[in-house]
Amino acid sequence: MKELVLKPKKLPELPLEAEVITPDSVAGKTLKEVKALPVYVGNTVHELGDYFDVKGETAETPSDQLVAIQGECGNVKYIGAGMTAGRLIVEGCVGMHAGAEMEGGELIVTGSASNWAGAEMKGGLLRIHGDAGHQLGAAYRGSPEGMTGGVIVVGGDVGLEAGAFMRRGMLIIHGNVDSFLGVHMNGGEVFVFGKVARRFGAEAKGNGGFIACFGGVESILPTYVYDTTFRPDFMKLYLRQLRDQLGIEAAGKFLEASFKRYRGDIAVGGTAEILVVEP
Amino acid sequence: MSFTLNGVGIEDTFAEGFGMWGARIIITAKNRKWANIAAREMTGFATSVIACDCEAGIERQVPPEETPDGRPGVSVMVFGFSKTRLATPMLNRIGQCVLTCPTTAIYNGIPEEEADDMLDVGASLRFFGDGYQVKMRMGDGWGERQRFWRIPVMEGEFLAEAKFGAVRAVAGGNFLIMGENEDATLEASERAVEAILEVPGVITPFPGGLCRSGSKVGSTYAFLKASTNTPFCPAIKHTSPDSQVPPGCNSVLEVVLNGLDEPSVMKAMAAGIRAATEVEGIKWITAVNFAGKLGKFQMGLKDALGVE
Repeated sequence: MKELVLKPKKLPELPLEAEVITPDSVAGKTLKEVKALPVYVGNTVHELGDYFDVKGETAETPSDQLVAIQGECGNVKYIGAGMTAGRLIVEGCVGMHAGAEMEGGELIVTGSASNWAGAEMKGGLLRIHGDAGHQLGAAYRGSPEGMTGGVIVVGGDVGLEAGAFMRRGMLIIHGNVDSFLGVHMNGGEVFVFGKVARRFGAEAKGNGGFIACFGGVESILPTYVYDTTFRPDFMKLYLRQLRDQLGIEAAGKFLEASFKRYRGDIAVGGTAEILVVEP
Repeated sequence: MSFTLNGVGIEDTFAEGFGMWGARIIITAKNRKWANIAAREMTGFATSVIACDCEAGIERQVPPEETPDGRPGVSVMVFGFSKTRLATPMLNRIGQCVLTCPTTAIYNGIPEEEADDMLDVGASLRFFGDGYQVKMRMGDGWGERQRFWRIPVMEGEFLAEAKFGAVRAVAGGNFLIMGENEDATLEASERAVEAILEVPGVITPFPGGLCRSGSKVGSTYAFLKASTNTPFCPAIKHTSPDSQVPPGCNSVLEVVLNGLDEPSVMKAMAAGIRAATEVEGIKWITAVNFAGKLGKFQMGLKDALGVE
């Protein structure tokens, strides 16, 4: 893999929109062409080189391209948005829409991510070591589907409406989650190892979707019906996948755990599941 | 024409194999006891398509670290003459013998990239859930894409992978072990089957891997399409005009094996023959064929053993 290094210079006070920071945009280009890629500050167009020192090598194809951002980018939006392949590592925090609509490859954020990270993600792996803001992996307003594939792993806490309108893919959260997790979800799998705030799974339809809660819940909506307490075999497959393929050690502790199964949201005739681990 | 191995005469002939479709199912359960109960039930009455709906057998015990859910497993293989004649018995047998068995789950044992086709067995089983079945997805957009069905059962849930890989396989691998008495012949045959089951991708569908009757096409009776293999029955070797039992041989057992491909069957035949020749009292080994008129595969004993 060829590595291209971007170091932030003095970033503007207004958010910088830099959807060109992806392996797809830089692969096959010279360093001069990479520096000239357009970025936006408000309604003015600038060049990437105006705000980043660009060094290293570019690959022929995105899948062979590693892009490393060495520095804080908390005010830079759309980093890794729409990427399809390769690796993008941010050594610091990222602004809104990081990895939004990404289709493949790997985006790693060692710090935290702002709102709409991984929104409407289609594929690939988005790993945020710190916290994530609101609408993680959610659908944009008016859109019928949020995540349709891929995996988002968050090491810390997550804000409101994570996984809203989720259709497929996985959301794994180590920390606590604010309200309305998985609202309107219609498929997909959510694993939370911290505590889940109230109203999660509201108006979820089903389609095989579930929210697995390993660290307790604030409350469960009355429109979810308790069915049983059991040790489902299918959960072993997911937990082994989390542990072995995604390196989530916490998952391995629950391989033999029992879960309370709730089914809903019956307010919308849903068959989604909430699975709450038994202490 | 013949050659010798460990002092045992081996006829320079071939086993005539047939093309079939094969599939591999990994059955897991809470413990090995229940995995084996399900596997034995599922592979029962599946010795030969002469009178069974398929041919099936246990390939091997699968350790927990190799199964998708980390529980003890058993690998079962099923063979049928067409994709339909494979899928239907699979569906029936899984439905009646595995779904009903406490704690079990089933997984595909032939990945899509190695399969010639995929059978919607689990997807058909799901209807048993009567509308309460749950689709389970894994790997969408980031890993190996997999689909399962979770079917509610009275004990809990039955988990079934949606599709099972099927390959163009080989059935009818065989050899006959002839000894001076029943004990030596049975011991050699048992050792042969043990050696065969060390080879991946092979099963021995008959009881204990052995067929004592053999079979030949047709009979003296118009209504019977197959009968005991009279040329190899020692009890009538001097009264049957077409007897092929050599002098000094008083017991014959046939080892029958099916495999996912011809090299696996050949390798297993060689392993079985070598093991059999190590038993004292074994006089002669040959194979059954139809002069190459019926089967697609001619698996020579010399070729299998690598004898020049």
